[in-house]
Amino acid sequence: MSAVARYRPVAAYLMAFALSAAPGLAASATTAPAPRPPEAVYAKTCGYCHGQHVAPIIRGRGLPVEVIEQYVRSGPRGMVAFRPTEISDVELKVLAKWLNASKADPKEKGE
Amino acid sequence: MTGISRRDVIRTCAVGAAMVGSGAFASPLDGPRQLPVHLDKGAFAAAVKELRAVVGAEWVFADPESTLPYAKSFTPDPRHENVPSGAVAPASVEEIQAILKIANKYKLPLWTVSTGKNMGYGCATPASSGQMILDLKRMNRIIEIDAELGTALVEPGVTYQDLRDYLDEHNLPFWLDVPTVGPIVSPLGNTLERGVGYTPYGDHFFMQCGMEVVLADGTVVRTGMGSVKNSTTWQAFKWGYGPYIDGIFTQSNFGVVTKLGFWLMPKPPAFKPFMVRHNAMEDVSKIVDAMRPFRMNNLIPNVVLMMGAAYQIAMFHRREELWDKPESIPDDVVRDFAKKHGLGMWNTYFALYGTDEIIAAVEPIVRGAFEASGGEVLTEKEMGGNLWFEHHKNLMSGQLTLEEKGIMRWRGGGMCCFAPVAPAKGIETQQQTELAKEILGKYGFDYSVAYAIGGRELHHLIFIQYDKENPVEEKKADDCIREMVTRFGERGWASYRTGVNTMDLVAKQYGEANRTLNARLKQALDPNHILSPGKQGIA
Repeated sequence: MSAVARYRPVAAYLMAFALSAAPGLAASATTAPAPRPPEAVYAKTCGYCHGQHVAPIIRGRGLPVEVIEQYVRSGPRGMVAFRPTEISDVELKVLAKWLNASKADPKEKGE
Repeated sequence: MTGISRRDVIRTCAVGAAMVGSGAFASPLDGPRQLPVHLDKGAFAAAVKELRAVVGAEWVFADPESTLPYAKSFTPDPRHENVPSGAVAPASVEEIQAILKIANKYKLPLWTVSTGKNMGYGCATPASSGQMILDLKRMNRIIEIDAELGTALVEPGVTYQDLRDYLDEHNLPFWLDVPTVGPIVSPLGNTLERGVGYTPYGDHFFMQCGMEVVLADGTVVRTGMGSVKNSTTWQAFKWGYGPYIDGIFTQSNFGVVTKLGFWLMPKPPAFKPFMVRHNAMEDVSKIVDAMRPFRMNNLIPNVVLMMGAAYQIAMFHRREELWDKPESIPDDVVRDFAKKHGLGMWNTYFALYGTDEIIAAVEPIVRGAFEASGGEVLTEKEMGGNLWFEHHKNLMSGQLTLEEKGIMRWRGGGMCCFAPVAPAKGIETQQQTELAKEILGKYGFDYSVAYAIGGRELHHLIFIQYDKENPVEEKKADDCIREMVTRFGERGWASYRTGVNTMDLVAKQYGEANRTLNARLKQALDPNHILSPGKQGIA
């Protein structure tokens, strides 16, 4: 769906819904953010636990892509679940492939 | 440590197969689900259709597979009372207004979250089953950083990581004050829950300044100076004019907060972290009495963490490394393991901030007081490189870490936090410790705690760690926290915050007049009770 088509229904709602006059700031941006590369998602999310003594090392283990995707969305046991609003479906697919093919990082700690 | 087991992989694949199988339903809404009690399937489906028209189909989650990440929780829910029906994720204030209009029409309850990572208290799960999660993560703009005043204005989906990256990218000399799980959580969400951190800016609500709120009828309100035409002081002056209302939107369900202002700590020229090591459980009283004057006169300016050894060990180690029995770990086992890693039974972390001259003047005063309490006062010289010292050094200088998340692996993924407030008096903290150990011992749980020391009080953060995959253990954890809430309450010690499973129980302890006042406010602001019903016990 294009951005314009997607926001048309919102405009219709606003016509019918009283909006108080809030001064100052503009409305939110309407374009979706660009997907982040897998290295960035890993560094800013996964890598805080995995390879830091907190959660198991997952790089260089050839974990199946579908297992990674399921883990991220369901958060088994001690793991947090991540939603598409946090890691998009597109980002997750690329991340899972990247992790599956990744080499072990000798700087990571733990097992 | 157990790592990733073959059993985990097989089980995860099985779950995945089951979820894919749910695609066999003619409509995702035909699948098994937890609906709001007063809403039938047809009305729910109609509401979902209208929500999709507002935010786009991909941002409404109403089938079992896509709802799964919203149902993840570490807290016990043996009666399935905290199961969401789905989620909707708007990208703007205007979309929130449109969503609220639909919710009012269908009486659809919406449980609002910013990033939904409130790990000890239920993550994104609602206080009653069937609520739809109003996920604000997509609203993730850093709207303004004022580099002269050191203020920030952010949306709900901005994380501490986002903010840190922004400050670094623009070379702005400010420190953040982070909660334990900073990288993936929201300053707005944590501040609204009245969470605390580790630096002199550690009382997050105290450092908050101005907010924007969407009320249930769609009205947008800006608090403090934010409603003044052409205002330039929204993030500079907290109190505004007339009744101060920001507080009623914290730990509450009176509106949807869409913007939050707060203050940033200027990076100090010098910073020196300390750890005070005490070796006996009974030392809790001495530590609190030694610390109190320094927190009152602000010679020690930061939120001080007095960490119990069992909690600290759980960050990086598994229970079976110490103890293989179902009953609580004896103190001497914890003490011996801690000692091997440079830790005492209590490890108290504080820091001095300012200039080298200021720190040199204050250090002998605090050092003398803690040595007199029987503690060893340690610095980087003795503790540099120690995992736990480095962890707290990072937190006290506003750096991001998720290391404390390791405690969830102690006993199989279950964890909930009971957080009673204690006055900063040694004798009462000693009594709280004794009562907590007695109740935890009855259920076979370990005394895994941290005391966060504010000006005149302590948050006694007691973490119940259990095996969430074992229904018997889950029931035990639920019984345990309820007994703790009740018995601490009988002594006059109530929680400052609690999980979705005990919100009503704690609300009762604050008395009928308080509950009635909250109910009257709720009725006036949200007559259809669509916003987070049950939040902090407010229907």
